[in-house]
Amino acid sequence: MPQIPIIMPQLGESIAEAVVTGFLVKPGEKVSADQDLLEVETNKATMNVSSPCAGRVDKLLVNLNESYTVGAVLGYLEVTKEEASRAGLDQALPDESAGANGGGAARAGRESETASKGVQPTLRGLPVPAHASGATYMSPRMKARMHELGLHAGDLAGVAGTGAGGRVTIEDFEKFITHLQKNKLTTASSMRVAVADAMRRSWTRPLATVALAVCIDPMLAHRKSCETKLGPALYAIRALAVALAENSAPAGRLVGSHIVHPQAIDIGFAVEVEDGVLVPVLRNVDSKRLSELANRYNELVELGRQRRLPADATGGSIATVTNFGTFGLTWATPIPLPEQTLVLGLGAGRVVPNWNAAKQAFEPATEANLTLSFDHRVLDGGAAGRLLLRVADLLGKPAEL
Amino acid sequence: MVHMAVTSESAEVSLDREQYITAYKWMLLARVLEDKLASLYRAAKIHGGVYRGKGQEALSVSIGLSLQKGDVFAPLIRDQAGRLAFGESVLEAVRTYLGSPLGPMRAREGNVHRGRPRDGYLPMISHLGAMVSVVNGVLFARKLQGVNGTVGAACLGEGATSTGACHEALNQASVEKLPLVLVIANNGYAYSTPSSRQFACRNLVDRAIGYGIEGHSVDGTDLAACLKTLGIAVKRARSGQGPQMVVARLLRLCGHGDHDDAGYIDPKLKASPMGRDCLELAEDFILQQQWVEACTVTRWRNEALDKVEEAVATTQRDPLPDPYAEEWRAIASKHLTELRGAAQWETE
Amino acid sequence: MSVTYLEAIREAQARALADDPRVFIYGQDVGAFGGAFKATKNLANEYPGRVIDAPISEDAMVGAAIGAALQGMRPIIEMQFADFSTPGFNQIVNHAATMYWRTGVPCPITIRLPSGGTSGSGPFHSQSMEALYAHYPGLVVVTPATVEDAYSMLIEAVALDDPVIFCEHKYLYYHLKADALPTEAMPVGKARIAREGRDLTIVAYSAMVHEALAVAEEFAGEGWEIEVVDLRSIKPLDTDTVMASVARTGRLLAVGESWPWGGVTAEVVARVATEGFNLLDAAPQRLNAKDTPVPYHPTLWAVHRPTSRSIAAAARSVLRS
Repeated sequence: MPQIPIIMPQLGESIAEAVVTGFLVKPGEKVSADQDLLEVETNKATMNVSSPCAGRVDKLLVNLNESYTVGAVLGYLEVTKEEASRAGLDQALPDESAGANGGGAARAGRESETASKGVQPTLRGLPVPAHASGATYMSPRMKARMHELGLHAGDLAGVAGTGAGGRVTIEDFEKFITHLQKNKLTTASSMRVAVADAMRRSWTRPLATVALAVCIDPMLAHRKSCETKLGPALYAIRALAVALAENSAPAGRLVGSHIVHPQAIDIGFAVEVEDGVLVPVLRNVDSKRLSELANRYNELVELGRQRRLPADATGGSIATVTNFGTFGLTWATPIPLPEQTLVLGLGAGRVVPNWNAAKQAFEPATEANLTLSFDHRVLDGGAAGRLLLRVADLLGKPAEL
Repeated sequence: MVHMAVTSESAEVSLDREQYITAYKWMLLARVLEDKLASLYRAAKIHGGVYRGKGQEALSVSIGLSLQKGDVFAPLIRDQAGRLAFGESVLEAVRTYLGSPLGPMRAREGNVHRGRPRDGYLPMISHLGAMVSVVNGVLFARKLQGVNGTVGAACLGEGATSTGACHEALNQASVEKLPLVLVIANNGYAYSTPSSRQFACRNLVDRAIGYGIEGHSVDGTDLAACLKTLGIAVKRARSGQGPQMVVARLLRLCGHGDHDDAGYIDPKLKASPMGRDCLELAEDFILQQQWVEACTVTRWRNEALDKVEEAVATTQRDPLPDPYAEEWRAIASKHLTELRGAAQWETE
Repeated sequence: MSVTYLEAIREAQARALADDPRVFIYGQDVGAFGGAFKATKNLANEYPGRVIDAPISEDAMVGAAIGAALQGMRPIIEMQFADFSTPGFNQIVNHAATMYWRTGVPCPITIRLPSGGTSGSGPFHSQSMEALYAHYPGLVVVTPATVEDAYSMLIEAVALDDPVIFCEHKYLYYHLKADALPTEAMPVGKARIAREGRDLTIVAYSAMVHEALAVAEEFAGEGWEIEVVDLRSIKPLDTDTVMASVARTGRLLAVGESWPWGGVTAEVVARVATEGFNLLDAAPQRLNAKDTPVPYHPTLWAVHRPTSRSIAAAARSVLRS
């Protein structure tokens, strides 16, 4: 048989709840339509709650002297189908316990659980600039236009601003863009754009470089004596890996006030491709000897040049090695990858006269510059220097690598 | 020219039996309907308030019956009997109370705030006294249009006569000599405020002198007296005698609304002649006159009950208002509607 | 031949009375006296019985207008001063403005509010109340700034089926002249570009439009091109025109004669900030009267409301930021 709820009525405009002060019927009792069932008290008056139709009191869910919200279900009537139909209660009525006035819960006496949780702000409000001034200030319109054109702040480096504090106004900007159109424009390759983005992001950190001239004769001799072809960069990769395995702190990353320590000693190395650079990665370099790395290294160089690097050989390295010596360069300050703290550079070897104090004479030696560019927030010159010295030291004993 | 207050305190022997019985039946229907509304309210079927005219039916039905088609009527919160007599259907009343979108106010207004302005039945706003000048405006416009012979009636309680709006409107009607009948139910209480806190003049009807209009006093519990007095007032207004103020003395026999148990009403008043139930008195009179038998009255009551039950059952099958199908536009000029605000974030 | 703003209002009412027998005018002193500002001069003679003196009862005046409108008439209510509309506020915002929404029956009344400050008028003869009425749903609110608009917008106000609050500016009554009444008109609801520009958009309405135009003229000599938008209607507010202007200039200064809190300038800035955020090259600014009642003495009054001097200072600040 259908069950019809007995609902706490809205007993006055600002009334939100009422206290049950008397039971006028008992469960099991037969009642007629409009018969008073319960006595309730608001802060304005004492009233009765009456039956919506004829039926039998099935259960009463409330306690004497306790308060219940408007719209709360106070009990149930068992009602015949005919009676429900006669009283027009057989329609699928909206959830009456969440009636417009009370928004009450289905359980008597509890606060509504349907109240939505408000949106909680997670950031303190940022101050809104009261005056649009300052060289780095970009107005909403500027930002929208730059977003539209795919530009970054770095692209505006050459634009002199005429706005307050030297900021670039939208007029300055539009003039700049129009002016650019007068030059020959070619589309940058996606590789170029990707490298540009990486370098721009990396550059947001304070970078510094230290260098050390290293005698590479032992390495060159070792190379000659090996059957497998071993690139100079591979020696540097292996030496760096061993040094970082001993102390990985220099390769840590600074995020906020935490140093994130590297896990595996995976080292990347730069491979020049058309209009850009790719960085294949050798995994767990600290646990493999030079000879064990050689094949994989050569394979990756080739795949890199063809731009067909497998997924497991890209990303996740903790430091990178770049052999700018292959371009004939003796000195360079490469920029670390944006997610890394270190990049180790190897310059071209040159035969130079070295002063041998014991022999009181100059001797020829093949020297190359090792440069270490690093995020100066993570380590200082001393730590950088110590790392380079260790790498140089390891390069002096290539047979042990 | 100073008009003397005209009073008609007691019924005369030559009564119109048909009119009396018609009036009684409307009163009975109003009472039965409001009893049902009250029980729906106590069963949590009505949102907002229920405002009843218990004890006021004789006065209200009298103005409703005295008006003719083409007249304009602005009833207030205790005028169910007058509304029915003027032409409102039980279904319209129930639909408004139950918030049906099929009612005259389409669920945008509820309970007593209902009407059909195009039929001269003005929907009240809550601010007391505000309706009177609107009735004036209708009458004034008819004057300009050359429409003659119609009357406008507005109902107020004694509390509403304290408002500036009421004063301005009475003054305006007097200056323009409009055919306005102002029906004031002095039922002793404005919510919980007794009339001693509402006005200081000895008789409320004396104010008519101040406005330069005709005033009438009547015992609001006496149906015959009410029918006669309202009949006279409406006739005088219609014949160009200017505004008519009718003040009826009676007692409110219910709370201000059904959320109010009226515990503040002076028991002495309840026990006095003023505290008698006009419906009971009228029923007694009919039986006393032997115009019909008791079983006929019972039959009338059952017919009224059936009418009300049918209206309630019909309404409970009406759809709920659909906020997403609503046209949320407050002005008639569609091309001037602004579509701003939170609308863009509404989801179904 | 030249016609003043005030004469345009009178001519519009004469035209309405002539063309539509449903129109009548009701207000204090509008009959034989012709109105406190002569806005109905001679109309009682030309249209006997249709220009009627009301008692000092703003509530009953508006109530009667509502009743008359329900009866099919098109009443024009003249409030003697905008400031005196407050006794009738209830009937305007709770009755007239809600009639259509509650009942589906429109309420075609027009309420004329002589608005704005003139020297020596003081707190109760100077107010600009457009924002108060615009806030309530159900009302149309217009603020003509030109002789042409005073004429055409009043005619359209009477023709509209909705209650219209017609805010006419008292200072413009006799200070603004035009060569002739217009034969064509922009409709209610559309804003007008009073002066085209490039560097800054000044959004204004009513008397402030003229102050803004004076500033634009002055700045042109310095090489700045200021665009002035005359809102014409406060509600509905022509956001599209304002937004298009800010799209051109990137900078916004909203100027209004009423008080700062929640005024028309606040609404304009809110709309541009929410819907046109990325059009802004600088923070939008607004200039209003000081947040005090309108002072009586001319010297105090002169700085209480925006003037071409204060508008110029604000404009310069926005242009330079």
